[in-house]
Amino acid sequence: MSAFTATAVGFRYGNTERAALSDVTLSLDAAVVTWFTGAPGAGTSTLLLLAAGLAPLHTGGSVSGSASLLGENPQSTKGRRCLAGRVAYVSADPASQLSGIAETVRREVAFAPANLGRPREQILAVAERAMARMEIAHLAERAPASLSGGEQQRAVIASMLALEPDAWLLDEPGSALDARGRETLASVMREEAKRGALVMVASEDADWLAGWADRLIIMKEGRVMGDGVPATLLADPSLGETGAGSTAVATFARALAERDARFAAATYPVTVQDALERWA
Amino acid sequence: MTPLHPFTPFLLVLATALLAVLLPAPWGPVVLALVVLVIALLLGAFRQVGAALLLTLPLWIFLLILHGAMRGGEGWLAAIAQGSRLTGIILASLLAYRAFQPSRFLDAAATRGWSSSAALLVLATLQAAPRLRARVTRILEAQRSRGLRVRGRALGRARALVPVTLPLILQTLGEVDARAMALDTRGVGTARRTALEVVRMRGLDWGSLLVAASAVVAALAWRVLA
Repeated sequence: MSAFTATAVGFRYGNTERAALSDVTLSLDAAVVTWFTGAPGAGTSTLLLLAAGLAPLHTGGSVSGSASLLGENPQSTKGRRCLAGRVAYVSADPASQLSGIAETVRREVAFAPANLGRPREQILAVAERAMARMEIAHLAERAPASLSGGEQQRAVIASMLALEPDAWLLDEPGSALDARGRETLASVMREEAKRGALVMVASEDADWLAGWADRLIIMKEGRVMGDGVPATLLADPSLGETGAGSTAVATFARALAERDARFAAATYPVTVQDALERWA
Repeated sequence: MTPLHPFTPFLLVLATALLAVLLPAPWGPVVLALVVLVIALLLGAFRQVGAALLLTLPLWIFLLILHGAMRGGEGWLAAIAQGSRLTGIILASLLAYRAFQPSRFLDAAATRGWSSSAALLVLATLQAAPRLRARVTRILEAQRSRGLRVRGRALGRARALVPVTLPLILQTLGEVDARAMALDTRGVGTARRTALEVVRMRGLDWGSLLVAASAVVAALAWRVLA
């Protein structure tokens, strides 16, 4: 059974004429990292909000079609209750995701499992592990508000790790992170997928995601325009028509092909390794 | 120092407010304000003392003009009594806020088996002021960098109100949504919350509450019997 399905899903925010999502039909499996990309306004963030049950509940707007996450309807009250603690949602802005209640990072990370009524000893152990995985154990006694943006984002992700969720919905999770932080997050998400969790990532950062996503879904103006293996879709010369950006290597290869016909090809290399294999 | 139970400072503020009303004016409220001031100084809460004096300064001026200068004689004493009441209550509230630890408050509520949603509602109210102040600072900085002049003559300041107030309202509304989402994704209100620390009343809590309650009862008795 698919971990996430969307059937003819449409979504429109209040007071807007253009639909944020139109006729989106998808089926995503657990244990796979699925990357959503597209130009700004493509609808990738809205799709994650919808999957998490946060839209239209907190955003307003109207939804059509049906969606199912881990076998539950995230739009229904019963579905949201069943999904509580099983879904981790992370957005691009770490400051707005902090609880604002915890005085220390340790308490921030323990906040969510405590809300779910899990046993105290289990919470404390899981919180320590989550901080270690996100490499913030040394910040455990710091006030979350005093951390840098990147450290806050690590704390937010650790607080979601402490839930031991079955599904990850990450909206531009790397925007506040430095290179090391992105590497850590990618590694943790690969481990989560390996554990059997559904991982959905919305990001425009092709250079980062191309290295660790299993599946790429390209969206444009709320519709799915492409679905496949990242290396194949990013190498396609027609990618630019969707407004989605490719990797620096693919962009360079395209520019090179335009200048010199010897480099023209049906597909472009996507990563440095691809380029070396073709050209070296 | 062992921190007080999270409920104790607020019960002490309540006792201060009751004493401010019950104690004989004008010297009762004056003594009360002085006691709170001494406690604040002993605790090293100099910032809170400064803030309380700043906050009450306009009130003192207003009261002294309204009661003292206009009525003379008893008016001065009435102004001193009112000013002392307000100063005592405001300083006690600031001291309680200084001692406040949101997550210990949540743990205390969970220890008592209270709903975490209700406790969060109290927390949201208590934390609204510092968040608003931080937001105002950010907006002021942003608008200044765009050339807005917020200092100088009264007319200039009045003009600056709109570009500061409007984004403040809109951003605050936006933050309410973001915060609601953050709490929603963290399972708030879905189960009975686990207390990470079992918070119970200790000797210092019982002792200070006993002293405050005795003072309130004594003041009340004096009121009834006098």
